Amino acid sequence: MTTTDVSVFDVIPERVAAASPARPRLLVIGTMFASAAVAMGMAGLLGIYLETRADVIAEGERWLPNGVVIPLTQPNMMAITLLLSVFAMVWAVASIKTDDRPNTYIALGLALMFGLAYITQTAYLLTIMEMPIRGDVLERPPLLFALIGTHIVIMLAAMLYAVAMGVRTLGGDYNSKDVEGLYGATTFWTVAVVLYLAVWYAIYITK
Amino acid sequence: MAMTDTRSEADAPAADGAAPATDSDAITDVFGNGDHKAIGRLWIFSAALFLLGGLVANVIAGFEQANLDGFEIAKDGDQFVQLWSLGRDLIMFGGVVPLLVGLAIYVVPLQIGASALAFSRGAATAFWIWLVSTGILILSYIMNGGPRGGRTDYVVLWSLALGVMLGAIVWALICIATTILGARTHGMSLEKAPVSAWGFFTFAIVGILALPIVMGELLLAFLDVRYGYLPTDASRDTLLSVLDSVSIAPAIYWLGIPVLGIAVEAISVHTGKPVRFHRSAMAALGILAVYTFAGDFLSFSTRGRPIAFDNGAYVVLILLSSIPVLSVLGLAGESLKTGSPKVRTPLAAGMAGGLLLLAATGASVLTAVAPIVGFLNTNFDAGINLDSAWNLAGSSFHEGIRGIVIASAVLGAIAGVNHWGHKIWGRSVEDRLGMLATLATVAGGLVWGVPLIITGFLSPDRFSATGGIVEDGVEILNLISAIGTALVAGGAALLLLQVLGASAGRGSSVEPWSGLTLEWATTSPPPIGNFATAPIVSSATPLADDDFDLAVVRTGTAAPTGSGATDSDASDETKAADAEPAEVTAGGDA
Repeated sequence: MTTTDVSVFDVIPERVAAASPARPRLLVIGTMFASAAVAMGMAGLLGIYLETRADVIAEGERWLPNGVVIPLTQPNMMAITLLLSVFAMVWAVASIKTDDRPNTYIALGLALMFGLAYITQTAYLLTIMEMPIRGDVLERPPLLFALIGTHIVIMLAAMLYAVAMGVRTLGGDYNSKDVEGLYGATTFWTVAVVLYLAVWYAIYITK
Repeated sequence: MAMTDTRSEADAPAADGAAPATDSDAITDVFGNGDHKAIGRLWIFSAALFLLGGLVANVIAGFEQANLDGFEIAKDGDQFVQLWSLGRDLIMFGGVVPLLVGLAIYVVPLQIGASALAFSRGAATAFWIWLVSTGILILSYIMNGGPRGGRTDYVVLWSLALGVMLGAIVWALICIATTILGARTHGMSLEKAPVSAWGFFTFAIVGILALPIVMGELLLAFLDVRYGYLPTDASRDTLLSVLDSVSIAPAIYWLGIPVLGIAVEAISVHTGKPVRFHRSAMAALGILAVYTFAGDFLSFSTRGRPIAFDNGAYVVLILLSSIPVLSVLGLAGESLKTGSPKVRTPLAAGMAGGLLLLAATGASVLTAVAPIVGFLNTNFDAGINLDSAWNLAGSSFHEGIRGIVIASAVLGAIAGVNHWGHKIWGRSVEDRLGMLATLATVAGGLVWGVPLIITGFLSPDRFSATGGIVEDGVEILNLISAIGTALVAGGAALLLLQVLGASAGRGSSVEPWSGLTLEWATTSPPPIGNFATAPIVSSATPLADDDFDLAVVRTGTAAPTGSGATDSDASDETKAADAEPAEVTAGGDA
């Protein structure tokens, strides 16, 4: 027998077991449903906010009370920060696809830092806005706080999700053959950022 | 094990030749585990209990509205509204919806050939969160909270508890939808999934999209009350409208989607004739889902104002919503006509649930009369004089429709529990109790709803709009309606008795019937992991296919030569069933 006589090699056995099916990306599917639910909740709040504001303005009244100013610097910086965080999350996914773990962790850390920066910036913005939650200065101050607060909670959830998937990546659950966890975290993160852009336009830009 | 994992702790298929693991013991029966069957049973039992509680609260509220001498449980109008609202909250989100969720969590993975529910730990967590928050909701009402509540802290607690309940339900619905979309077995495209699984899927999608909007409104209610924007009991009346966007037609037909799916399943099995035009039935359910979601949206857009039923979109939705219901029932009726129907609870309750839903969608058309006449008068100068009684927006007419739809959903649950009862508990549920529950619920649904529909023409006010109990001569209709609610409560009590009986191990261990979908390809109750080997399907009725190897799916080993697809040797129960006169191949009795 010579090594060139390939016919003697049982390269493909006659009875090959069926390949196991590709593992369904349940986490990504579930994340998409959760993202849709979160987006609907925020859309509902935004709808109520815009409707109430339009009603107040139509009656010839001011929406924001005297003395309350919404500066643009912080909201714009937050928008840019969050957009950068999306790039960081995509970087994390791209890195794990090549089993480049150091870059994955750097990217995840950066995204989390951006997320934290957004939250602290929002806290600062609320402080300098001096918008009272009680009192008759605005028809429904709770509306504004509900929108901003809900988005902070969504962002915190996105950060927790990213941390959980980062830990699982560290534990070896995810690698170049399976990026489902990080992909799911990135999906939810991106939705959270898109929702911020809607809040940014509705509250901070159009005031 | 993480919440985001799908496989339960012990859900790996049994090794070849090994006896399938059982999933039931005292601890898992009480606390559940990561297995979808234990979780489903917990949802079903708890929801049946809360459903009964909610209906009893509504019965008491109904008798209060009848102004009977000597019957005065609520001290004033505020307490009456609180009692009524407690009933509505419990019936919808403590009872009917979780009951359907529980059935879906148990049955759907079996129907699509999955070994587990997606994120099964998440579904278990959702159950416990829902259970605790429902308890807190009841507590908040007891402590004078809820809409029209007098104690601010407990009104706040009510909004929080209801919001968390809805969140837990959304979480469970995400698990169900993800399972159907991502965990179907080999060869099972969505169109080959059973109609009931598709019904649960569309039900889940609408819930995932619609309930978060209500949660947003509850968050606002929480902040408004907490920060003094709704300072008085009367001003808190507006909190009643928070649930309107999902509890008024056509949004309320959401509850009917899984009812129709279960009805189709029951008719297929109990007539021995699978419903033809499977995909048409699925399309009709999908269209109904779109209508109900559009209804949610429409109701939401009129938030904070009297519900204005005078726009074109509403009229179109109301006029068309009967069509998908009629389509599904028509397709199922063909099986009834050409098959050999056996009068049993699943068939009777499924059909009755579908027909009640049809009645509700049909009656709702009356609300479109005023908008249509208004349109004709405005645009074509038709000069039609319509009595103001036809302006039904905000009246008790919609409570009547809601009552009928709730009864329809209870019938769907009765049909589901009776149809899959042996699969769920390994014991047959008592059929006579089921028939009695069906009769009580059908009669009750009509007697509950029709008087309120008539009242809608006699009085423009829902009780809440006048700030108290209606006292304009409609008491007798209210009394009849309360009796109807009591009948539905009787049906729910019988359902609970059935669940308790089967849980306690009463009833026959012989599987009473079999079908052609995958849940019938495993033992009853199924082992952890559901199937010995993952089934491969090539049609919507896999057990009727020549190439489907039932023995391999059940036991992991091939049947002796000559065995057909239905010649199972998997369990003693099925052997005994096979010994009885059989029409197995037709999808009917075992």
